[in-house]
Amino acid sequence: MNIVEMKNIKKNYPLGETVVHAVRGVSFDVQEGEFLSIIGPSGSGKTTLLNMIGCIDIPSEGSMKIAGKEITTMKDKELTDLRLYKIGFIFQTFNLIPVLNVKENVEFPLLLMKKYSKKEISERASQLIDAVGLTEHINHKPSELSGGQRQRVAIARALVTKPGIVLADEPTANLDSETGGYILELMKEMNEKEKTTFIFSTHDPDVIKYAKRIVRIKDGLLAE
Amino acid sequence: MLSLKIAWRNIYRHKGKSLVIGVILFLGAWIMTVGNGIISGLNEGLKENIVNRFTGDIVLISDKQVKKDVLFPMMGESIEVISGYPAIKDVLTQQPYVDKFLPAAQGAAMVLSDAGEPDLYFLLGVDFAQYQKMFDNVETVEGRLLKPGERGLLLTTVNRKMLYDYLTNYWVIPENCTLATANLTPEAKANIQRLQVRDKLVFMGFSDKNTTLDILSPVKGVIKYKSFNKFWGFFNIIDLESFRECFGYVTAADSSAQVDDEKKALLAMDESNLEGSFSMDGLVSEMKTDDSIFDSSSIQKETEKQQIAIDTDKGSFNLVYIKLKPGVPLDVAVKKLNKALNDAHVNVQAITWKQGLGQIADMAMLMKGALFVFVTFIFFVAIIVIMNTLSMAALERIPEIGMMRAVGAKKSFISSMFLYETAMLSFVFGGIGIISGIVTVKILALMNITTANEMLQLFFGGDKFQPLLSMSDIILGIVQLAVVTLIATIYPMIVARRITPLEAIARD
Repeated sequence: MNIVEMKNIKKNYPLGETVVHAVRGVSFDVQEGEFLSIIGPSGSGKTTLLNMIGCIDIPSEGSMKIAGKEITTMKDKELTDLRLYKIGFIFQTFNLIPVLNVKENVEFPLLLMKKYSKKEISERASQLIDAVGLTEHINHKPSELSGGQRQRVAIARALVTKPGIVLADEPTANLDSETGGYILELMKEMNEKEKTTFIFSTHDPDVIKYAKRIVRIKDGLLAE
Repeated sequence: MLSLKIAWRNIYRHKGKSLVIGVILFLGAWIMTVGNGIISGLNEGLKENIVNRFTGDIVLISDKQVKKDVLFPMMGESIEVISGYPAIKDVLTQQPYVDKFLPAAQGAAMVLSDAGEPDLYFLLGVDFAQYQKMFDNVETVEGRLLKPGERGLLLTTVNRKMLYDYLTNYWVIPENCTLATANLTPEAKANIQRLQVRDKLVFMGFSDKNTTLDILSPVKGVIKYKSFNKFWGFFNIIDLESFRECFGYVTAADSSAQVDDEKKALLAMDESNLEGSFSMDGLVSEMKTDDSIFDSSSIQKETEKQQIAIDTDKGSFNLVYIKLKPGVPLDVAVKKLNKALNDAHVNVQAITWKQGLGQIADMAMLMKGALFVFVTFIFFVAIIVIMNTLSMAALERIPEIGMMRAVGAKKSFISSMFLYETAMLSFVFGGIGIISGIVTVKILALMNITTANEMLQLFFGGDKFQPLLSMSDIILGIVQLAVVTLIATIYPMIVARRITPLEAIARD
């Protein structure tokens, strides 16, 4: 089953008096459980495409369905709910909540859902923290963690709600190669274990080799 | 609660900004509480020292009276006469909201210097016993107060000094009293060797209708008013009948005069027959004399009895002071009273004490208004500073807020986070500000700060600075703080709600 369906997706941004055509007509589908990499040079539109898949940005034209739901006609509240229940994010700069510790950061999306008990939330979070190897740092604040540790927290947070898709935008860009490799192995392991679809963007060839499927993008269009 | 937890921790994390907002909230709450206390104190002071002690809530004046500021008129301006007081009294006793009332007469009378130069002095003609029951606002400095039914003058210390300056070398003391050198002004003390004393004053009634009458009034006491003496001290108190005689009003004695049959017949007689009544034959007749009927002491006793028996209500006045029962709005009472007076066809109108006082009330209200504007100004300054600080905080937290939105936090979650942060600061710092304000008001009241300056007395609402806070004032302060918090948070909340997940990523 396709978890992402794109048909002729376009995205334009006004820039002063000109218009930037970031995505010019992209069509492809992503199946459930895929481990897919979108690659392309800087400015190719890969981040824009990832943002639209993540419902953070809305296409200017075209049709996009996430888990069978057309997102181009959705309101802000519906998009927010879709992100909460169906999509996980791993940002380039981790973006953890600085005043919450590791466990609280991982629990955060579950608390927003308001449908699980405290015990269930705590157990699920602890499970994922253990899976990413951060149990001994469970009460530490983000400022007390290394870059790699923070990214692992971000991965745990992205997976805690058992989303259908996890989107990662240059997840290893701010990490050294060893840590980056570890993170990618972790993501691959989660993909195999949880059957979660992973879509990540990168222009790093070392990262690309982890992907099972590659989608190339150049100048806002799919490239062969 | 998650947003509450994050809000509390953010306050601690951004200690500097939190302290800035906290200090502003503290100062704002303190100033608003103290300001409310001063305004309440002013209101109560004006109520006590003007309404309860001098004017009453409402004043009745003649419906012919054009200028309404009758209680402190320009010198020489007369107040229109009110007659038919018994009918007015009937109307007033029927009004359930009227507590007490007192008729009076006020005017300016002349005193001539030895050189014949006139100077004007206010006289307030009242039934003094009733006046004391109504207002109880004077205390003796020398001599005594007027006895019921007694004729005489209570001279104020303010007017005694003015008289000394005007008459030169004359110092007025009460009848049967000796000169109290301790009460002399420095100028009189310096001149003590040549000082002459008087215990009676001649007043010439003065009005713009050019009627003049002289009365010789014995000074029974020298008085001062218990509060606002610098204002009310211009009003000497005199018995009603003396006032009426001085100003040519209908006295109670006039109203009580009975014309016997002989006099009626004389009045009714044709003029042409008048001379015939005075023919030499009938003019003088022999009469037996009985010494006892010419016993002067018995005649005196009869005269005294006659004086005590006079009902002062029957003469003319020009004012009626009215005090209302608590809980009746003043404007409502004035409307009702005017309607009742109109229905009863009595020729008077009811005005508020503020209208009656004219400029003095305007000044007091102006001061109150200025204070209120200042407190409101602080209110808005607090809002603007807090709003700016919180807006900047929102913009600094774009990555954090954008990420929260990206993982599924709704706009309402973001808003509640900001609101809780400001609410917690408001509760703690604002709360301390209100409590400090309450303590400050109590301390200021206990300090019993007094002033002799007339403007400050108006600001204080009396001679003493007595701010006070009722429960409703404290609740008002809490409401003001809550409103500041809400309004100050609205714009930053809007800024925070508008932060999109895209901005969080774009910033990075």
